Amino acid sequence: MSTIELKHINKVFGTGLSRVQVLHDVNFTAERGELVLVLGPSGSGKSTFLTIAGGLQTPTSGEVQLNQKSLEQLSQKDLENFRLNKIGFVLQAYNLVPYLTVKEQFTLVDRVRKAGNIDSNELTNLLKYLEINDTVDKYPAELSGGQNQRVAIARALYTDPEIILADEPTASLDTGRVQEVGKLLKELATQQNKAIVVVTHDLRLKDYASRIYQITDGKMVEDSKDN
Amino acid sequence: MFLALKEIKHEKLRYGLIIAMIVLVSYLIFVLTSLALGLSNQNTQAITSWNANSILLNKDSNTNLSQSLITQEQDADLKLTKNDAYLAQASVVTKSSGHEQIAANYLGLQKKQFVNQNLKLSSGHKAENDHQVVADEKFQHSGYKLGDKIKLNSLSGSYKIVGFTKGAKFNIAPVLYGTLVGWQSIRGLGSNFKASAVVSKDSHVKSSNSNLKNYSIKQFIDKLPGYSAQNSTFTFMIAFLMIISLIVIAVFLYILTIQKLPNYAVLRAQGIPAKVLVKNTIFQSFILVIGGIIIASILTILTALLIPTSVPMSFNLPLLSLVAFGLVLTSILGAIIPVRTILKVDPVQVIGG
Repeated sequence: MSTIELKHINKVFGTGLSRVQVLHDVNFTAERGELVLVLGPSGSGKSTFLTIAGGLQTPTSGEVQLNQKSLEQLSQKDLENFRLNKIGFVLQAYNLVPYLTVKEQFTLVDRVRKAGNIDSNELTNLLKYLEINDTVDKYPAELSGGQNQRVAIARALYTDPEIILADEPTASLDTGRVQEVGKLLKELATQQNKAIVVVTHDLRLKDYASRIYQITDGKMVEDSKDN
Repeated sequence: MFLALKEIKHEKLRYGLIIAMIVLVSYLIFVLTSLALGLSNQNTQAITSWNANSILLNKDSNTNLSQSLITQEQDADLKLTKNDAYLAQASVVTKSSGHEQIAANYLGLQKKQFVNQNLKLSSGHKAENDHQVVADEKFQHSGYKLGDKIKLNSLSGSYKIVGFTKGAKFNIAPVLYGTLVGWQSIRGLGSNFKASAVVSKDSHVKSSNSNLKNYSIKQFIDKLPGYSAQNSTFTFMIAFLMIISLIVIAVFLYILTIQKLPNYAVLRAQGIPAKVLVKNTIFQSFILVIGGIIIASILTILTALLIPTSVPMSFNLPLLSLVAFGLVLTSILGAIIPVRTILKVDPVQVIGG
């Protein structure tokens, strides 16, 4: 049974001469315990795919299902709740509030989502696991790129979501850090039973993926890991 | 609220500058309003202190006290009660060695009538003969003391200051309260004329003389020379200042909100409800403007304490509260204008292409 499933998704922007079809009949599944990579070059439509999977955009046609429930039926408020409760986003930029310390990034979530977040012991363990437990009183501007990325991952995991959607999580990281992030995402998928979907053009993450999709010019195909 | 306070705490310089701008704008409005009111009050202070509701003047005086005269013959047609009092005005220039000349209004009163009876003195006693006067505190501030003798215009004879009273300005000039006979000799009118006018606590003075006419105190004040024109000028000046200032504040708060949209897009993507962000924006504007108004109020009070007495400032709490309320309201409006943008902020913009 798929945790998240995209069926025959098409996305068109503009009309007439400016009409651009960004996604063509995209089919995709990801289950808990999997790290699924969506590989593609810039402009291939992978970010549009990610925003549709996360309920940030609606497809022109097709259906997005979470645990076999269609997102199409959800109101704007339900979609906000869906993003808050079921999805954790790890974005490549602006992913932390600049005027909140690392600790306050979690406090903000507590104020909006009163129940269901991981408790303080679990958070401490998570931060230790991500090796950022000594950064709790620092602002994002005081952290390195790698530390910011790991805080963003912790922030995404804080609501204990079923699915993590990551947009280029290894952008601007060196190979050593890429391996660390890849290993971490793999462990989160298998040990914490999350469905993790990563859109990237970074081939260095292939070794950590459970499955791989290739997207080119809006057309997505499931690829063998060996290709 | 959490986000609003954390952002102010973290971005001290930016928010400090915005509060400083609100402080300066509010201070300017408060000070100008108080100065305008102070000047306006200098026209009417004495009139207000009489607590009268109407005034009887010569009908050909153009509702002007200095142009009005009531003859003894006309006085015979009046039926005065204990609520009525004669008022006799003469414009004078006071001279005294060692003191500056002061342009003043001599107001002759009858001893046993209510205006003289209700006169509140800060020191000394009321005039007991025709060569004694009670002077406005302006004389005290100019160095005059009880017992000082002053000359009026070029008249022979002198007048002794026997008392001081606060808040006795009429048509900007300070008042010297004297007697009706004193007025007759200053004006050189002899005994044919009784007074300039009769003020009353009632709605009118009973008179059967067709040459005399009753006016309400409001009508009388509005006709004071230059009073309405001066007030209209100040009212328009302050109104334009307020409108422009409020627009400037609203625009600043609008820009402030627009600058936050990238952060709001991230929060929306993470599922933070739009209403949390809207409440945060409005609360932040409220905090900024309230902070600015409190500081501006303190500065205005300090200014009033330090400003020379020759520059009158008057505080009208309801009016200043209204001005402050206008500032708060417009600032919140400035924050509310981009609410639609916040509600429509596209979380997609934070996810790269």
